[in-house]
Amino acid sequence: MRRRLLWQLIVAVAVALSTAQAFAFDFSKLEDSVTEFSLDNGLKFIVMERHDAPVVSLITWADVGACQDPLEYTGIAHMLEHMAFKGTKTLGATDIDAELEAMDAEDVAWEAYNTERKKGPLADPDRVEELKAKFDAAVTVAEEFGSLNVINGLLEKHGGVAINAGTSKDYTAYQVELPSNKLELWMAIESDRFTNPVFRTMYTEREVIAEERKQVLEDNPIMRALTSLQSTAFEAHPYQVPVIGHMSDIRNYSRQAVQAHFDKYYGPTNLVIAIVGDVDPKHVKKLAEKYFADLKHRPKPPPLATIEPEQQGEKRAYLQDPAQPLFLAAYHVPGVTHPDWPAVDAIMDYLGGGRSAPLYERLVKDEQLAADVGMQWWPGNKYPCLAIVYAMLTPGSENSALEEVTLAEFDRLREDLLPSEEVEKIKARAKAGYINGLTNNLGMADALARYQTYFGDWREVLRELDRINALTPEDIQRVAREYFVETNRTIVHLNTTQG
Amino acid sequence: MKTKLGALLVALTLMLGMAVSAGAQGAIDEIEYPKLNEIKTPDIKQVVLDNGLRLYLLEDHALPLVRASLRVNTGSYLDPPNKVGLASMTSDLLRIGGTEKWTSDEIDEMLEGVGASVETGMDVESASASMNVLTEYTDMGLEVLAQVLRYPVFDDEKMNLAITQAKSGISRRNEDPYDMTRREWVKKLYGGSSPYARQSEYATIDAISRDDLVAFHSMCYRPENVQMAIYGDIDPDAIVEKINAHFGDWERGTQSILPPPDVPRHCASPQVYVIHKPDLQQATVRMGHIGGLVSDPDYADRIVMNAILGGGFGSRILDVVRVQMGLAYVAGGRVISNYTHPGYFFLYAQTSNASAVTAARAMIEQIGRMHTDPPTEAEMAKGKDGYLNSFVFNFDQKGEVMNRLMTYDFHGMPENFLQLEKQAVERVTPEAVVKTAKANLFPDSLLVVISGNTEEFEESVEALGFGIPDTIDVTIPKPAAELTINEEAIARGSEILARAAEAHGGEGNLKKVEAIRTNSTVTVLMGGQSFPVTVEKLEVPPNQHRSVVNMMGRQIFDVRDGEKGWQTGQTGLLEDAGAEALAEADKDLKRELLHILQHVDDPYYRAVFAGSEEFGGVAVDWVALVYDDGEEICRLAVAAESHQIVCQKYWGNSFMGEGMLEHLVQDVMETEGVILPKSVEVRKDGEKIMTVETTERAFNVAIPADAFAKPEI
Repeated sequence: MRRRLLWQLIVAVAVALSTAQAFAFDFSKLEDSVTEFSLDNGLKFIVMERHDAPVVSLITWADVGACQDPLEYTGIAHMLEHMAFKGTKTLGATDIDAELEAMDAEDVAWEAYNTERKKGPLADPDRVEELKAKFDAAVTVAEEFGSLNVINGLLEKHGGVAINAGTSKDYTAYQVELPSNKLELWMAIESDRFTNPVFRTMYTEREVIAEERKQVLEDNPIMRALTSLQSTAFEAHPYQVPVIGHMSDIRNYSRQAVQAHFDKYYGPTNLVIAIVGDVDPKHVKKLAEKYFADLKHRPKPPPLATIEPEQQGEKRAYLQDPAQPLFLAAYHVPGVTHPDWPAVDAIMDYLGGGRSAPLYERLVKDEQLAADVGMQWWPGNKYPCLAIVYAMLTPGSENSALEEVTLAEFDRLREDLLPSEEVEKIKARAKAGYINGLTNNLGMADALARYQTYFGDWREVLRELDRINALTPEDIQRVAREYFVETNRTIVHLNTTQG
Repeated sequence: MKTKLGALLVALTLMLGMAVSAGAQGAIDEIEYPKLNEIKTPDIKQVVLDNGLRLYLLEDHALPLVRASLRVNTGSYLDPPNKVGLASMTSDLLRIGGTEKWTSDEIDEMLEGVGASVETGMDVESASASMNVLTEYTDMGLEVLAQVLRYPVFDDEKMNLAITQAKSGISRRNEDPYDMTRREWVKKLYGGSSPYARQSEYATIDAISRDDLVAFHSMCYRPENVQMAIYGDIDPDAIVEKINAHFGDWERGTQSILPPPDVPRHCASPQVYVIHKPDLQQATVRMGHIGGLVSDPDYADRIVMNAILGGGFGSRILDVVRVQMGLAYVAGGRVISNYTHPGYFFLYAQTSNASAVTAARAMIEQIGRMHTDPPTEAEMAKGKDGYLNSFVFNFDQKGEVMNRLMTYDFHGMPENFLQLEKQAVERVTPEAVVKTAKANLFPDSLLVVISGNTEEFEESVEALGFGIPDTIDVTIPKPAAELTINEEAIARGSEILARAAEAHGGEGNLKKVEAIRTNSTVTVLMGGQSFPVTVEKLEVPPNQHRSVVNMMGRQIFDVRDGEKGWQTGQTGLLEDAGAEALAEADKDLKRELLHILQHVDDPYYRAVFAGSEEFGGVAVDWVALVYDDGEEICRLAVAAESHQIVCQKYWGNSFMGEGMLEHLVQDVMETEGVILPKSVEVRKDGEKIMTVETTERAFNVAIPADAFAKPEI
């Protein structure tokens, strides 16, 4: 106990020092370095000038994630992300008319085969086999056309790095970093990619996705536990399904389904482009108008309607698994745009961020029940989501013992008002984290596009620190008492299968 | 569905690939790019403190941040074989074990209270430390850094925590199939006990004491071994003064640090292994062989070759295995070149269990194609233009620039090595890529490891044509049960051993044995090859023996007569055995099963019961033989039913270096009523290193007069 007092003293001194030296980082300068414009078709560009090095980071942010996946096609947002690398009517095309014709035949054959196959026990086995053979043949014909990898090939040849794309429950984002003189190359490729895409090797790619699912989910114990957590915690909201979708749905994808998803969600009003680096915004605008004007205006799809009903009582899942034990505890909390979010974020940082966080001190340092513990949101945070505790148990430790210690920390958080110096520490960490984030162009591009999409205004990224700095111990206690309660909780124990 | 068409499609795409580029993307090809703005090469100042600490300084006031990155000349290669994990635990405890001025909890509070960080890390051939603070906390950060590196106290409680965390890591080490396969592959490549491949076990973690940590720290963490880069919002003169205040009186060390060991650069015959893990949904395939050095003359050619064969999208491996065949989500590979010892070349893919062998075969084919099919124009564009055009990204992150400079400086490479590398890449031709492929890729000498649920493999691994695969057992050796030496355990251990003596022939028969002749055939396994050896041995315990090993037409002697002895040395000449060798021979005798069994009623050891378990399918009792000072001679597994010894294990030396040796008895033979092992498999750290087949054993044989005299060569 004496030791604890001593640290508080040290921290108090450090905090006092920091306010005395009143470090003033000029956020207005940051705001001034950003230019935004929209094209007539509704496509929005956010450009931040950074002239330290002759490089540029580019992100195309689509306001569609796995939450928009239709029934029977879970994971299709992710499939579309894969297909967006397969070229266009010009990029990678050899004989586009013949290719499109062959793809039509492929789709027709798939539809016939899939319809019969899905009858299950009532399907005619001979018919299934015959239709499968026809489908396989059609695939072979269609895949003889075109050349894959043209988009990546061009970007790489011209010095592109960090070429990637990601799909989450909340969004789909496509990124690359280029030498800044290659901006026009990106404009030409990216505009074509979302104006005239061709979903080549669609049916082969499903198998790639099936392998991806095995790798990232089925053979990964933490993901197995998290998948179980989300399906237990959510009853209505699409957050209950993993991003990559169900295996049977992956094998149900068709080119029409991907096309329908693309048509609905990849209109210019549903995309945001963020560019950070050594560029001239006027030049960016000129090129944007030249290359992206052809994107046809489409109305922005309506926001998601489904709302998770209030949880009626604690839920639990006990998993038997070959892996070493894991513990998860989750509370339903609001999404990132809700006024309570900064307090939720602060609670996760306070309890689970770093080696001096109470959960780490109790579970790892004092009791040695866990080798590591932390808190984070899951599986997205655009919509009301989960604040989770995750812990990896030390050999021989029991989930029940770990749970008791964990839950006691939440009890304390509800009962005792946090000392104000603890809240000051949260704010100091937020500030340092924020400034560190500014060192990375790609990270900045991500933040600008993300805040523009979530809040409708990228400037909210600059106001994030203000929101955290406004927090009081009372705010944190109120939020703890509202959300971090038993009836709102889901617990998962993963225990090792014996024998 | 597509697998059968794989090869056809590859051929087809190659043709199409050449036809494509012209027409379709014409508009893009016509874009004219402005000249790239100048790459500002950072102005890094270098200062050496009086005590040898090397400083690298870079001013950059864009953000109010000060960062430090340190490289320390040490590494886990220095771990003693029985204490693997020592270097890493030392590094962990620098940060979490407290310092003379502050407890680690106080340091956590101080740093995290202001969003700062100080961290330490350990690698195979270097250690690192870092600091990241807002400018106003520079002094605090530097003081913590100095405390952590110079004045660690290795608090006992925190050491326990580090041990628990290390053990948790061991318990989870087979949960990531990629990592598990990589680890086992590297062990087969360099050898399981090589510093470049070995892993800590519960036993090696338990063997580490606080004194070991103190000694390791005191040996390595010395100013002349430290390079410190400090960059960001600094005033160079002021920061040098501050660093001098915190590190200037750090005393130089007194011990020199051994360099990392070299590794032979040769490729063995092909080898294939499988790891059977029935819970896996996917197979992981990894293949390759030993590689080269950064200083090799064709290093630049290998950079381009690497990008073409295994480097991401557009590489031959990903194109075939993922894009064409749809077998995997991830596939790729690299030629890893090191600074001090040969690196390696590897390819990998994660595919369905069913198509494991199909994927492996496709990968092997692509290695062969690197010899025969020169890179296309598009491939050169990817490999060469891609490297040259992305060169600017070597300079956009300050930390990366600083770390690179420290590495070059440490290894005595020119500061402009990267520029030289770039110039060399500019000169690479398609012909050079083929030439370097022929010199660096050996499709006939591959080491292949495949993990997964082998029962679901559609084709047998044998079909790869590399022979019958050996199985790698990844079972994690259980933590050794804490040995409790008390009367009860000794009584039980002695009783078990007495019964074993009975089962091996009984006191009467055992005690009659005086002179022993043993002939055996030994098969030595090294680097995937096996060498047959014969051994003739004549012994009159306790201190006369003559052993002759016949290996490939050569004779290797080990003779002892009392206090004199002779051995064939590494030069091939006969050398006098020193005191150390004689002591080693005494120790060997004390581990001889016959010798142990002959002394059950007048033991030179205490027999301590050490637990029961299921071992190789039978129930056994373990007995530890311990000297009075607590040092273990060996442990014996005695079968509960037959009372015969089925395994002996001990920490000792072998031709593969020091390690945990296990002798597994496969078959026994009877000689004059005494039952002793006939066939024995010897494992070192779980890996089979030889088999011994006894062809003849005779007791109380006539001893020729000159049997134990100095051999005539």
